[in-house]
Amino acid sequence: MRRRPSPAGLLLALLTLLAATPAFAEQLVLALSAEAVKISSSFTGTGITVFGAIERDAATVSRASTYDIVVVVRGPGETLVTRQKERFAGIWLNRDERTFVNMPSFYSVQSSRPLDDITTPELRRRFQIGFTDLAFRTAAGEPETSAGDDAFRDAFIRLKQQAGLYRSESYGVMFPGEQVFQATVQIPANVPVGLYRVSVFLFRDNTMLATTNAAIGISKTGFEQFTFDLARRHGYLYGLICVALALLTGWLAGVLFRRD
Amino acid sequence: MQIYLPIAELPVNMFLIFGMGGAVGFLSGLFGVGGGFLLTPLLIFSGISPAVAVASTTAQVVASSFSAALTYWRRRMIDFKLAGVLVVAGIIGSTIGVTIFTLLRRSGQLDLIISICYVTFLGLVGGLMLTESVRAIWNARRGRPAPLRRPGQHNWVHGLPFKMRFKRSKLYVSVIPIAAIGIGIGMLGSLLGIGGGFILVPALIYLLRVPTNIVIGTSLIQMIGTMAVATVLQSGNNHSVDGVLALILMVGGVIGAQFGARLGAHVRGDQLRAMLALLVLAVGIRFLVNLVHTPAELFSLATLSGDAR
Repeated sequence: MRRRPSPAGLLLALLTLLAATPAFAEQLVLALSAEAVKISSSFTGTGITVFGAIERDAATVSRASTYDIVVVVRGPGETLVTRQKERFAGIWLNRDERTFVNMPSFYSVQSSRPLDDITTPELRRRFQIGFTDLAFRTAAGEPETSAGDDAFRDAFIRLKQQAGLYRSESYGVMFPGEQVFQATVQIPANVPVGLYRVSVFLFRDNTMLATTNAAIGISKTGFEQFTFDLARRHGYLYGLICVALALLTGWLAGVLFRRD
Repeated sequence: MQIYLPIAELPVNMFLIFGMGGAVGFLSGLFGVGGGFLLTPLLIFSGISPAVAVASTTAQVVASSFSAALTYWRRRMIDFKLAGVLVVAGIIGSTIGVTIFTLLRRSGQLDLIISICYVTFLGLVGGLMLTESVRAIWNARRGRPAPLRRPGQHNWVHGLPFKMRFKRSKLYVSVIPIAAIGIGIGMLGSLLGIGGGFILVPALIYLLRVPTNIVIGTSLIQMIGTMAVATVLQSGNNHSVDGVLALILMVGGVIGAQFGARLGAHVRGDQLRAMLALLVLAVGIRFLVNLVHTPAELFSLATLSGDAR
């Protein structure tokens, strides 16, 4: 369904790349096990491995402390309404609501150590690292929402986590070599389609040394793609096809199981 | 076997959905009802969003009604003129119903209204059916004859103007009550994902005095027309008809219905009605519990057009 080059081959390619690129202080080199995910009828989720190397030129002084890596994967933005149920006349119904615009539909953050040990709250906010530091806006261009919306923000994150669409893993980035790292991002079955942005941040001593980006395209394929597009773009035609299908099924059953 | 539903956007177990369609089809064959009022709740309770459940069941109702209608058509037990008036009214009703559905979805109150409607209608119909069937069983035990119906008896409905003649049903009645029934069932059906047979059939018998041998075939035609239009409108306005889900339900449903109908021929009518009444009440109570029971999660996410996320 999707391309999956062997990890060994990737590492080799990476090392070649490492040797070829002119170095400037620390730099990040990145390779993904797949740059496209195709959702077919048998899709039940997948994992994408992010391979990377930290390259350093000879002039860069060797530092005492170790490197830390944070891998963030963001899905396409979406505007969602968070609703809160309240009891009214004995029954539970949606009363209060908040609309948060341009939120990542999918958000995964993996790091080599807990985020608090790697970076500062200021950097986390500026680069939107970790979903507690995401910018929640009620309308495009408006300042971030006030403290009164905390319950809605928390609920938003909680529900996204329950759906498997917001993930965090404190020790999700491994270092197979001193300057080579890897992390596997789990893509669940209910993943929204679109262009995903992979951002990798290199930290040392609470300072960001380098950052780089890559993209993953997630799309439906074959029959799924066809029906989804048809239903979205030509809803009435799709409805007519469903009715024709229903009449055909009904007629076939009527003929096959004829009792009189 | 897991299969990814393209519109519901989630993987489901194909055999589970097929089994649900089959079980509901069996019950609908057994009791001689459409089964939409059981299938939609079952899908909702199994985690499919109410919008997709309602719209996909609408397509399934077309298939099961058409399969049943073929039999009645061969036996010439359909009043096409009456069915035509009902279909026209039903289409008006389903257009209103789908519009309400779209508005409720955007405002986030669709699930609530669906639940309240199910509690009300299933409670009322189930309660009425249970009292009627228990009384019939009681009378049969005591050896009393069932009260005779007087077919010639007229009620207030027959005093209304704009009368029309329906030769097949031997009726001369006003179109006002027919249109009202058609619009009402169309609205309710498209809003709740039900054919509405369990309301339509008694309404035609008791209000209009349509002969019992013609009423089922005629109401099936009304359901096919109304639900077909509702399917197209749901798909066009809300993009919520899942063709794959509907197809699995249809195939399971029509097969299940055959077995149900065979068993149904060996069970007494009043006992069958009592069982159906209990089933209807149980589904209604389940919705009521959902409404009053404190939910584990008070918050929910949805897109601006109302898709659950």
